[in-house]
Amino acid sequence: MTTYRLIQNFRRSQGLLWAGPDLNADVLERTLLKLGVSLRRVESVSASDLDPDRDIVFVDADQQINPAPLLLPGANLTAAPVIGIVGIEAPSRLKLLAEAGATAILRKPIQAATVYSALFLGVNNHRRLKSAETRLAIGDRKRRGRRFLIKAVVTLVQARGLSDDDAYAELRRESMRRRLDLEEFCESLFQPESNFPGAWPAGLALSVSHDRGGSAHAKDAEVERRDGGDDVEYGGSGRRTNQDRRA
Amino acid sequence: MAKLRVPLGILISSDGPYTVVSRSMLCGALLGIAEGLAEHGDLELDPIIANPRGELARYSTMASEMLSSGIKHVIGCYTSSSRKEIIPLFEKADALLWYPSHYEGFESSSNVVYTGAVANQHLLPLVGYLLDCVGPKAFCVGSNYIWAWENNRILREAIGANGGAVVAERYFTVGCTEFGQVIETILAARPSFVFNTLIGESSYQFLRDLRAACRSRGIDQAREIPVASCTLSEPELEAIGPEAVDGHITSSVYFSSLDTPENDRFVKAYRARFPDGPVVSADAEATYLAARLFARAVREAGTDEASAVKVAVARRSIMAPQGEVRIDPETMHASLTPRIARSNLDGSFTILREATRPAAADPYLIRNSSRFGVVAIRPVLRVAS
Repeated sequence: MTTYRLIQNFRRSQGLLWAGPDLNADVLERTLLKLGVSLRRVESVSASDLDPDRDIVFVDADQQINPAPLLLPGANLTAAPVIGIVGIEAPSRLKLLAEAGATAILRKPIQAATVYSALFLGVNNHRRLKSAETRLAIGDRKRRGRRFLIKAVVTLVQARGLSDDDAYAELRRESMRRRLDLEEFCESLFQPESNFPGAWPAGLALSVSHDRGGSAHAKDAEVERRDGGDDVEYGGSGRRTNQDRRA
Repeated sequence: MAKLRVPLGILISSDGPYTVVSRSMLCGALLGIAEGLAEHGDLELDPIIANPRGELARYSTMASEMLSSGIKHVIGCYTSSSRKEIIPLFEKADALLWYPSHYEGFESSSNVVYTGAVANQHLLPLVGYLLDCVGPKAFCVGSNYIWAWENNRILREAIGANGGAVVAERYFTVGCTEFGQVIETILAARPSFVFNTLIGESSYQFLRDLRAACRSRGIDQAREIPVASCTLSEPELEAIGPEAVDGHITSSVYFSSLDTPENDRFVKAYRARFPDGPVVSADAEATYLAARLFARAVREAGTDEASAVKVAVARRSIMAPQGEVRIDPETMHASLTPRIARSNLDGSFTILREATRPAAADPYLIRNSSRFGVVAIRPVLRVAS
């Protein structure tokens, strides 16, 4: 599941103020203290050091900063929520905050009555984006794995004479039993070590990882090949199924 | 030594939709000022009283006039909407609003001293009592503004986290007195209790109509569908009338039936000064407390400068009618003693449960709620009319 829950109590969070020394942070610090949030000034930020469940970065947009360190390599989303502090409402400053992934802003001079709102929106918008990014990644992975699912269905239809619905149902049941995504499971069926559909379905000679975060290539998978099993080749181009041979 | 002369604004709606409570607040303020002056002989307070009649625009205009005339301290407001309307004016003028009523929390302006209770001092103790002693199924009825919205959210989350549920939420415009339809819905839903966040005349009419509807069906409303709230006070019991006055559960930090020497003295002084009423209420006590705290703090600060008065007011506790009260310098909210009581036919309350010591205010519920909002489970019926 990739649902996210709203955070409304920020106690024990840590604010990191990435700002020049001339920014007066008294109001921000006092108000955060009431909300159970500590604040410390930092001169730089590194995404790898940020804890998304604890840290909240306050970025002063009026200083010249490079927002890149807020992003993990290859990620589009900042490693922790970023709240922009806006003094000069000029496009160049706002662009910096957009690039820094700010999900809320505080206007200078900072007013106590706006801090909880900024914290609430900043943290929860970041969580919403993170949830959306996770869903997108899952969707991409499923889309990439879809061709393996189609291949597996076709293979079972051809090798076992099942209807496509029954073939799909069997694949789905087996993937659930192994606690794997359907597409991930089907991709594992077409790895060189696999004996699909020879050993299908009972005692399927596959031992793929049960770790949902594991690679779809199932590099740790062990393949038990049945002696005397169907002599089936499958996988990429040039391989043949029983159906091919029957044809 | 020259007397310290300080003007003090009082911004309380003696007329309008919540007059009954407001008038008792005004009485509390006047008594507090009189006793403050009697205690501090070298202090002279000039109270300037304004009546916004419950209209938001008038709150803003009158507060502006007070602040521009040099007044730095104002005791006033009952509803959160009126308080929020004028806080920016106080922040701009660096003046202090002494807000003397219970409210929903999630605010901590450095230009407000809060002497009323917040959710961890009224609503959360009430939820605990209702779940322990009444039942798990709530039906919420409220006036359509922030007090009801936020209290219902807190109730929904607290009750949901403990196995209970809110079956419906209904909101009505402030001053509305038409409740026939919602009462039919309540009787059909048969909740364990009704949580009432209606204010003023709306609340009194609802209680009267619900009692009458139950009586006509042979239902003992007070026993079978009790109404619980964090607002109902003694002068309001009088306003409800004898037919529907008893059996309501209220959470508050003060009831006039408290048996303490301080309260006995306070109630006697109040009755002597205002023999024609309204009777003492929690809001009257909170307003009295604000006036007493203000007088002592400004006297000790030797000036009416807001920053100096804020330091002085948080320096030491005061023995109030409800017990010991202290202002937290961090949040400027008061530590208060939570109590649950049931209303009686004679317009008084019988205390059912009482905290053993004052509870520090937790306006943002950082010590009294989970990190995450409950994934609730919104009621099926949620209507604003």
